[in-house]
Amino acid sequence: MDRGRLLVFSLAAESGYTLAYYFNWPLLIYYPVAGELRVPGQAAAAGFPIFWYGWLASAVVIGVVAAGVVPRRWMRRLPCDLSWIVTIVMIVAALTYEKRWF
Amino acid sequence: MGDSLTAGLLILHSLLAVALLGAITHQAVAVKLGPVPAKASFAARYRSVDASAYAGAIVLLFAVGTAIGALLYPSYRTIARPVLELNGLRAANGAFEIKEHLSALGVLMLPAYWAAWRRPLDAEYATARAALTWLLAAIVWWNFVVGDVLTNIKGLFH
Repeated sequence: MDRGRLLVFSLAAESGYTLAYYFNWPLLIYYPVAGELRVPGQAAAAGFPIFWYGWLASAVVIGVVAAGVVPRRWMRRLPCDLSWIVTIVMIVAALTYEKRWF
Repeated sequence: MGDSLTAGLLILHSLLAVALLGAITHQAVAVKLGPVPAKASFAARYRSVDASAYAGAIVLLFAVGTAIGALLYPSYRTIARPVLELNGLRAANGAFEIKEHLSALGVLMLPAYWAAWRRPLDAEYATARAALTWLLAAIVWWNFVVGDVLTNIKGLFH
């Protein structure tokens, strides 16, 4: 896989993960007490839900789709420094979001 | 998941984390400081390694370590987190929430990290290579320290 596609995956997936936890868009929901996996919209199972797997799954889907649909000529124009700049922005967003615990 | 399997996975998770911590720290130092002509001292040898040689191992260790962490996560939520909540340890809970996000962002940045370190090294990626390595190192250090503190939190706070 070429560098451009890997870069696009990371940029889209990291942004997608941040949107997924912020707006709570899990692709699936796991209920550890019941040991059941549900999709959003299905009735809740017993016990508390875990959304983290679902947010990660949403992010991977967003990343794969973006890496698949962004044209190669756009990828070549993408500055590689965006990879770390976007990562820093996403880390700051996560720290700001979790400030509520402290 | 049985108790002995959980304990075994937790030990494996910790061992992988130690290996990852060593590899990413070594790479981060080497990519920032670079080689020095005189390789006599320990510090000079430490910074003079071929940083690109670590990339594959780091990707593998981070991915496998996170996958095992994901398997252990339900045990954390059902066993460890209620203890934190009952004892009013909100900051510890928050530190783990951050670890959770950093693990996800770390895994998702691995393709970009791999692109930056792929041989032959592309000069255009030099800044990205150093920055992504340092970001991944910061994530690994945070996750290691928080994981270690939370594992021992009963002994630390009681």
